[in-house]
Amino acid sequence: MVPTAYYILLSAALFAIGVLGVLVRRNALVVFMSVELMLNAANLAFVAFARERLSVDGQVLVFFVITVAAAEVAVGLALLVAIFRSKRTADVDEVSVLKG
Amino acid sequence: MLTWLIWFIPLLPFVGFLLNLFVIRQERQAGMLASATVVASFVLALVATVLLAGLPEAERRVQSMAWEWIATGSLSVPFAIMFDPLTAVMVLLVTGVGALIHIYSIGYMHGDPRVVRYFAYLNLFVTMMLFLVMANNLLLLFLGWEGVGLCSFLLIGFWFERKEAAAAAVKAFVVNRIGDAAFILAMLAVFSNFGTLNFYGMEINGRWVPGFLERMPEIFGLRFGPDWQPIAIATGISFLLLIGATGKSAQLPLFVWLPDAMAGPTPVSALIHAATMVTAGVYMMARTEQLFAASPATQSWVVWIGTFTAFIAATAAIAQWDIKRVLAYSTVSQLGFMVAACGMGAYAAAIFHLLTHGIFKALLFLGSGSVIHGTHETQDMRKMGGLRTAMPTTFWTYMVGAAALAGVVPLAGFWSKDEILAHAAAYGYWPQLAILFLTSLLTAFYMGRQVALIFYGEQRDNHYHPHESGQTMRVPLIILAIGAIVAGFMNIPTLFSGMPAAHLLTDWLQPVLHEEAGKFNLVVAILATAGAVGMGYLGWWAYTSNAAKVKVGGLDPAYRYTGDIWDGMQEAWYVDLAYNRMVVAPFRSFSATLANVFDKQGIDGMVNGVGRVFTWAATEVRMLQNGYVRTYALVFTMGAVLVLSFMLFVTR
Repeated sequence: MVPTAYYILLSAALFAIGVLGVLVRRNALVVFMSVELMLNAANLAFVAFARERLSVDGQVLVFFVITVAAAEVAVGLALLVAIFRSKRTADVDEVSVLKG
Repeated sequence: MLTWLIWFIPLLPFVGFLLNLFVIRQERQAGMLASATVVASFVLALVATVLLAGLPEAERRVQSMAWEWIATGSLSVPFAIMFDPLTAVMVLLVTGVGALIHIYSIGYMHGDPRVVRYFAYLNLFVTMMLFLVMANNLLLLFLGWEGVGLCSFLLIGFWFERKEAAAAAVKAFVVNRIGDAAFILAMLAVFSNFGTLNFYGMEINGRWVPGFLERMPEIFGLRFGPDWQPIAIATGISFLLLIGATGKSAQLPLFVWLPDAMAGPTPVSALIHAATMVTAGVYMMARTEQLFAASPATQSWVVWIGTFTAFIAATAAIAQWDIKRVLAYSTVSQLGFMVAACGMGAYAAAIFHLLTHGIFKALLFLGSGSVIHGTHETQDMRKMGGLRTAMPTTFWTYMVGAAALAGVVPLAGFWSKDEILAHAAAYGYWPQLAILFLTSLLTAFYMGRQVALIFYGEQRDNHYHPHESGQTMRVPLIILAIGAIVAGFMNIPTLFSGMPAAHLLTDWLQPVLHEEAGKFNLVVAILATAGAVGMGYLGWWAYTSNAAKVKVGGLDPAYRYTGDIWDGMQEAWYVDLAYNRMVVAPFRSFSATLANVFDKQGIDGMVNGVGRVFTWAATEVRMLQNGYVRTYALVFTMGAVLVLSFMLFVTR
């Protein structure tokens, strides 16, 4: 059996890639994908621990995360479309009208 | 019956005040109502006086308490009024002269846009003056005292659009405050020494409370102050009361407000600043006579203040061009006579002069009002002249008033002034007698001058057509002129033995003032009246024969005889200027410093500084919000990393 530590390392790597993606990429769509990556990194950690501790709690929580992520993506994509319609771009740095 | 009847005397004008204030909006109704209430008060006062005279002499003091006004600890002040011989004559003067002035005002104030308010103030004034003279304790007297001060302020500033009227009103109020502060201190001293403010003993809630005037022996010999200079309690209290009287009765050094008070309507000058309110100080000193009698030190102050005021104001009256300012200084001078009489212990003579002066000075003021009215608001005597043909009624009544003031036999002013001079001679006040005698000569001179300037010669300014005043103004003048002729006979001295009806007033006031009638001094009387006639003629002659030299901007014909002294007299010996330099100007510059430096730099600097700090902080902080989502995400991530590392490495 693959040790849990491997799963956790993979999960941490995925999460770090997601964070970097959110911070450095300017395309809103890629940012979203990076967010999804972080969510799935968390999911991976959940199921890994759930398997080790022989508990279903983590696995149940993963389903919640997946549904919430789906809802979030729906809202986020709608926002993205709206921003693109008004700005003709998906660059998040172009959307800075709320600066002080 | 008297106990409830006397309440209606002050309350009727008060009802008139309330109605004029809240209900009535028409000029005609206001004037009629105001006059009717005061006339009714006068009738009631007559009835009450007759009833009082029907009582035995020892019982001639009716006191009536409405409710216990203030009851805290040992202080108990009843809201109570009284009626005794002294109050009776004061009430008759206030309501009698007041009623005539109300009627006169209907004509004088006709067409004024705020006339209803004017009559409301006038009624309130009469109410307050009646409370002042009818109060049976010092605090209620003080209520009236302040009430008349308030009405005086409101009425001097009645034409508040005129700047000098508003300033004069404020000045009168502020100067009076000095006297009032002393009055309050005197009240505190009376309370701490006697435990009561009532003048005379009366029953309060079934308990007999003696008044402080009846308990004077308790403070004889009591002293306060440092060991090397102890001051008798009686001197302290009476001196404070004297300061109060100098404020209200316009004596040295606080007389400066009265000449300026002439900015009010002329009937107001007649009612408040000649006949009634300014006599309140004299009344108060007569009422607390026992207190003053207990302190020879204060009495000598009283007599000298009165004497000097009489003289200085008389000299100032000579050099005025404004018709009302002459009368104002003359009033100050005559009040000085009364105060001097109080200081000599001649309280009956002081009250006698107060009554006759109230009548003839009201007459003179109303006469001057008629002149001002008939010459279209001209007050400068240099622009008058020759008015005797145009306004005969005014002329003849004015002549009566002027002769009465000058002290010509047998008019009212002669008898009352002579009584004061005779008292001074009888009790050896020789220096005061000399100054007062000189003052009476000056009085005759300035009245002769005034009559000559107004009524004789040719009209010096033809921009107006003088006309006689209407019926409502002429009738009060005639009644007052008759009064000025006959009023002296209420206290005529015993000219020959067995003469009937002599000393009526002194005998009537005897239960209150405990004073025996003075003797008639033929030498003083002859000298005074000869001097009055001579100086009056001199004044008249000097200004009719030099009438051509009198013009606006020119010097007075008498200037070449007096020179610089004339300038001093014109400015009332610069007392006003001295106050301006010593009190008003430093206070103004202090206020200006506060307003321009302390307020602008201190207070405003603090407030603006706080604002500037926040503005600066906000400009710095707003840089944080740059609108880039990725920056926010970075900060958020760094925060999360910080919190996690904290949990991981510190709080494990």
